[in-house]
Amino acid sequence: MSDSNTTAPTLRPPTAKVPLFSIGRVWTIAGSTVTQLVRMKTFYFLLAFALVVVAVGNFNIPTTPAKELSMIKKVSFGTMDLFAWLFAIVSTALLIPRDLEDRTLYTILSKPVRRIEYLVGKLGGVLFVIAVSLLAMFAICAVMIYARESLFVGAELEAMQADSRYSQEEIAEQLSLIQMQGLRPELGVAVLASFLKASVVAAVTIFLSTFASSSLFTIIVSVLLFLIGHAHTMATNFWLHQTDSNLFVQMLVKIVKILIPNYQLFSFSEGVVQGEAINYVVVSQMGMLTGGYLVVFILLSLLVFVDKEF
Amino acid sequence: MSELAVEVKNLTKVFSTSLSKDHVVAVDNLSFEVKAGEVYGLIGPNGSGKSTTMKVVLGLMAASKGSAKVFGLDSGDIRARNEIGFLPENPYFYKHLSGAETLQFYGKLCGIKGSKLKDRIAELLHLVDLEGAADRRLGGYSKGMLQRIGLAQTLIQDPRLVILDEPTAGVDPVGSRQIRDLIMKLRDDGYTVFLCSHLLEQVQEVCDRVGIIFKGRMRREGSLEELISIEDQTAMTLEGASPELMEKINALVAEDGKAKIVEQGHPRTTLERLFINIAGQRKEKSDNE
Repeated sequence: MSDSNTTAPTLRPPTAKVPLFSIGRVWTIAGSTVTQLVRMKTFYFLLAFALVVVAVGNFNIPTTPAKELSMIKKVSFGTMDLFAWLFAIVSTALLIPRDLEDRTLYTILSKPVRRIEYLVGKLGGVLFVIAVSLLAMFAICAVMIYARESLFVGAELEAMQADSRYSQEEIAEQLSLIQMQGLRPELGVAVLASFLKASVVAAVTIFLSTFASSSLFTIIVSVLLFLIGHAHTMATNFWLHQTDSNLFVQMLVKIVKILIPNYQLFSFSEGVVQGEAINYVVVSQMGMLTGGYLVVFILLSLLVFVDKEF
Repeated sequence: MSELAVEVKNLTKVFSTSLSKDHVVAVDNLSFEVKAGEVYGLIGPNGSGKSTTMKVVLGLMAASKGSAKVFGLDSGDIRARNEIGFLPENPYFYKHLSGAETLQFYGKLCGIKGSKLKDRIAELLHLVDLEGAADRRLGGYSKGMLQRIGLAQTLIQDPRLVILDEPTAGVDPVGSRQIRDLIMKLRDDGYTVFLCSHLLEQVQEVCDRVGIIFKGRMRREGSLEELISIEDQTAMTLEGASPELMEKINALVAEDGKAKIVEQGHPRTTLERLFINIAGQRKEKSDNE
């Protein structure tokens, strides 16, 4: 035993009061999640995306410039969507199980941190990285589409002007057709749709990771749920309208319909990519639906996580 | 000294094994108190329920029965956790963060910001002697350095209670000595320290009171003096005693009739102290060179 305790030391004063819920703590965990994902070199997948876009942009397809631009957009935005939801699943599935396995969670939760703050912070960090990734992917796409559009417009203009059969109106109409499939601000809505979908995917994954035994299990189940979510309408219509379906099957289908997000709803962006007019009512409804899914899945995650013992 | 930092009353923790009705009683009706300002050691073999008790005190686990309070607050209360600094056994922090970033992260979680946080980080890095490694990522830290940054992390919000789970586990003797010195300094600075360990010598060196737990139950508890002193024996260590003096002492004892000499010889240092002395001398020599 130490002999340094000859006089009783002055005791430490109580620590400062802590708020019962703090946005600052959520922000700190979100910031740490962003740093973690960045330092895990997750942004390297952007290189793969850039390669896909460059490859698609350099295909020589024997078709009209407008159709070629349309195809470039379709493949690029499809790849962007794929990368976004895949990134949402993999990165989210790694976070909580890793904190648990590494016991980092012990030191975090032994500080004045609520479990809801931890969950929201983790999700917030993932969503921020997804948003930045989507913006980066959109920038790569935009450069490629703009380059191809400028090339097509220049070549078409030159060819039509050289041919005396075309009037100025006809030239303008043809160029307008190409530009309709070019870089337009409406494409931002397609990026937003991908973000909303990836947000829901991340929320579902975070819920699964609160009770899953491993990251691999979380990833596999999340992908399965994502696929089922795309066949949502078809599957529920089939089962619910089967006359020979018994009550149990009907109840089960209804529960699945409620619990598994309908990812098909987010496919409205495909029309936007193809140059269709944007229905802003649908966009705002999708925003609200995403918010609803996030709240529901965070609450479900909390339900599991709040009593979890470490 | 009368304020209670930790108050555990009739704590029972039962784990049910999956898919069967079997239960494992990890902690069984355990009660003890840690007074503010003291260093309390909970000792016991592996699997005796020390870590489970600690987790209940930290609010990481709920009690099956009984209660655990920290400075009068329920251990699950977020305000109680602000009074606690916790160093787990084999602390794992984010390896992608540097030492300073780690302290910044935990400081922010405790609501400390700006220059106050910056000053606190500098102060703690100095305390644990890691100023030179502040910007190095934790992935490159040695076990002892991790333990020391862990200790700095426990103190970031200047808590009243510091809970240490096997603080020197896996650390070499020099690192272990540094940590023990830090624990003593904490006590001198007015912190309450609640320590779990199965390294008895370590506990003996730093603790004021000790509880011995075995199979989830408190077997003995009391001040270290009460527990380890042999009431009817007295030790005396002499330096430079001549054989003549020793003869005189022996003769006096023999004259007394009641007293007898139980043991006589040269006191030995511990292997650990010897190692630290040699390591210290080597370091001094290389510093001079």
